[in-house]
Amino acid sequence: MVLGVREISCSGEPVLDSENEEELMQVKPGIDIVLGDLPRESPGTLYITNKQVIWVSDVEKTKGYAVDFLSISLHAVSRDPEAYPLPCLYTQIDTGEVDDDHSDSESNHIQQNLSNVTEMRLIPSDPTQLDTLFAIFCQCAELNPEPNDEEGEEHDWFFNADQMEDEEAEDEGYISHNPANSIGHSNGNHDLARTILELQINDRRFDDAEEIEDNGDNHH
Amino acid sequence: MLFFSYFKDLVGREVTVELKNDLAIRGTLHSVDQYLNIKLENTRVVDQDKYPHMLSVRNCFIRGSVVRYVQLPPEGVDIELLHDATRREARGG
Repeated sequence: MVLGVREISCSGEPVLDSENEEELMQVKPGIDIVLGDLPRESPGTLYITNKQVIWVSDVEKTKGYAVDFLSISLHAVSRDPEAYPLPCLYTQIDTGEVDDDHSDSESNHIQQNLSNVTEMRLIPSDPTQLDTLFAIFCQCAELNPEPNDEEGEEHDWFFNADQMEDEEAEDEGYISHNPANSIGHSNGNHDLARTILELQINDRRFDDAEEIEDNGDNHH
Repeated sequence: MLFFSYFKDLVGREVTVELKNDLAIRGTLHSVDQYLNIKLENTRVVDQDKYPHMLSVRNCFIRGSVVRYVQLPPEGVDIELLHDATRREARGG
């Protein structure tokens, strides 16, 4: 999957990936597009499929942009002239990059590259279209959950069996090597020696962990 | 499913949604779906200096996968209910 906005070239209507069950949901003519801080491009036609949004220029029929719904983090209807002079559908694009504070001095230069575009505005010539546009974006976003959503959630909230075992092993190790006297309560050299012994044990444990990692790398 | 049903109970309340890109949006929770996509109404951006262009967005759809935190109204947190729900979830039911 490609994150962010990408430039496409097409002849007339964009070709859909029907093998992957891509279907056209709606076609909206008379839509201008603004990508990041780039100049507004107009007019164009918006093709909304169940997978992506494609904008094709009416002027240069072969020129267009596409963005997957998976990359659209947020969309909203913007009608306040202070926020943007024209009523538009405002979207934020996930480029997969770590968020950099795009300061104004840099942005003009950086934004030339489409992969850095984090905002897209769609401006319909007829502002009454905005609510239907918003609604269809909602509908399509719901058709495109994260491909690995379940898995991601598991990693966020639960430990899988392997992790559990590791955790347990670590816990046991920690308890058995860590009797009641903690740092600051040592009574003499004897205890000091034990502390050093503990450290060595700890070190060896970290070595093991690295070895396991190395093995894993070799397999991949 | 715990979060889904829990957030559904919060519909109509004021929440603050913090995104993974640090943008925080406050608004009335309009709806939430099974993917934890969140629709807010009457939104405003918490840090308006940083995101002036988002000032006036009236309704807003946020993709569940980009949400980092949802700040709940304290009066909307029913601890008893959450207790029960988490216990049931832990039992796998």
